Amino acid sequence: MMRLLKKLHKWVGLLIGIQVLLWLLSGLVISLLDPQIVSGKQWAVTSETVAQTLGPLKLLEPAELPPALLKGATGIDLMTRHGKPVYLVRNTDGENLVDAMHASVITTEKSGAEQLARKDFGGDGKIISIESGMAPDRETRNSHGAYWRVNFSDPASTSIYISASTGELLERRNSFWRVRDFFWMLHIMDYPGRENFNNPLIITVALIAIWLGISGFMLLFGSFSRSDFFFLKTPAARDEVVITLFDPGVQQPQRVKLRKGSNLFLSLATHGVSLASICGGGGECGKCRVRFETAPWPGANEIELGLVPKRLRERGYRLACQQTADRDMTLNLPEGTLVSGQ
Amino acid sequence: MLKPAVIVRNLHKWLGLIVGLQILIWLATGLYMVVVNIDFIHGDPLVKNMQDTVVVPDNKLLSVASLRARYPDATRIGLKPLMGKTFYSVTTANNRYLLDPETGTVQSPLGEEAARDIAKYHFTGEAPVISATLITSNPPMEIQTRRLPLWRVDFDDRFSTSFYIDPQNGSLVTRRHLYWRIFDFLWMLHIMDYEDRSDAHNLLLITAQVTGLTFAITGLWLLFYSFNGRRRKSRAAIR
Repeated sequence: MMRLLKKLHKWVGLLIGIQVLLWLLSGLVISLLDPQIVSGKQWAVTSETVAQTLGPLKLLEPAELPPALLKGATGIDLMTRHGKPVYLVRNTDGENLVDAMHASVITTEKSGAEQLARKDFGGDGKIISIESGMAPDRETRNSHGAYWRVNFSDPASTSIYISASTGELLERRNSFWRVRDFFWMLHIMDYPGRENFNNPLIITVALIAIWLGISGFMLLFGSFSRSDFFFLKTPAARDEVVITLFDPGVQQPQRVKLRKGSNLFLSLATHGVSLASICGGGGECGKCRVRFETAPWPGANEIELGLVPKRLRERGYRLACQQTADRDMTLNLPEGTLVSGQ
Repeated sequence: MLKPAVIVRNLHKWLGLIVGLQILIWLATGLYMVVVNIDFIHGDPLVKNMQDTVVVPDNKLLSVASLRARYPDATRIGLKPLMGKTFYSVTTANNRYLLDPETGTVQSPLGEEAARDIAKYHFTGEAPVISATLITSNPPMEIQTRRLPLWRVDFDDRFSTSFYIDPQNGSLVTRRHLYWRIFDFLWMLHIMDYEDRSDAHNLLLITAQVTGLTFAITGLWLLFYSFNGRRRKSRAAIR
């Protein structure tokens, strides 16, 4: 069971480990960024414009607006915009502003957009360029229709998007938003649109990744033993065992005192006895073989069954990383271990 | 001196103990959010008649001019569809009104009967309304940011659907249902903002992420040792 879990964990890790790393990294970047700055509100002039009353001027009735505009309208509102009475006509594909005195459709020219953007932006920078474009695109994905993009020279490279029809402020974008958006793309794995987190790629990877989590979580229980939490005990209650170590290349046996119940491989390593290992005590490489001097040999677990040949097991060979220092014992180490370990 | 492999393996083990549960929560909550379609979560399949058009009233009926005379402090006068009929909506500095365009009678604030009817008009399901409550204070978390008062109309369907209706203009402000509520709860667990469920820029989350990132790096590093050990083992076996 443990062996199977380890295998599963390892292979799933190999398959999608990089994406798990990217999830954590992109998640970290996203939460480090201050939403106030990302949204551009940091530099926005808070224009708490109190809605103006409509005033005494004679205005058109809704029925006097151009019939083509009224067709299919889902809402019509008489209001003031930049001090002028206007009709805002909404339909399924956007909004139009109509002058409430002359029935002419209002559009926002380049100069108007420049003025509106300058009024909104309170950061440290001047307007360096104004471009036109059509939403939705990467930075205006929540809008529809033509826009003016007003670019500022501030350190955050702010761009303010103004609707070319209604003059409404569509978006405030800056480098922080762009960085966030890039990492958001990595996080939700929607590389072309950066928007749809229900895409088949992320669903597939998430379905695989959950197994990395489940197997890891189960392995966690197996990898800890009571002796790992020795620090919770009073020093007097910490039992020790004596391990006698023989190395054919060294005359005198070496004795070390280990914490009772600790992992043999790790405990020896922390006492300077470094057994051969590639995997570092994970039960993967089978290098940390030791021979128990006296029978009865401790039981071999499934990992040892797989990594130590039967003829060696029958002579008392075990893997130190799978054994526990649970009693006084005598171990035969491969030649040179004690010399090189010291 | 411990070998790097030993250090990394133990680091992975202990970091796993610290953030393992949260990583599992991130994976599980993330899985729900990517698997369940966001339009479904938003309740799009639950509503209909959301794009009704307005019929512009004849000038002989109640005119905008007469409404301006009646509400001199109006900041906005609009035409909006409500249950297939067109109504006037008037916004002043302190209030909002819904008016019948023919008689000019003020319909707002809408009562329970009207709220139920509006909810049913927009609901795609067949299930009956089980309750309608006017929320004037202490809103439930799911409408925390909305302007009160609101009618909450609950349906007896398998999604425990609730529609929220603005009594001042009859708009369906928002809709909530079981899977939205689950999503919202899981989102809270995902961003570790247990109070407002909205702030991903919090210290607890950032701490967990830094720990988690270190954990993931040690995990990837270990793969190198694990697969390296494997390769050498099989070579040894061939010899």
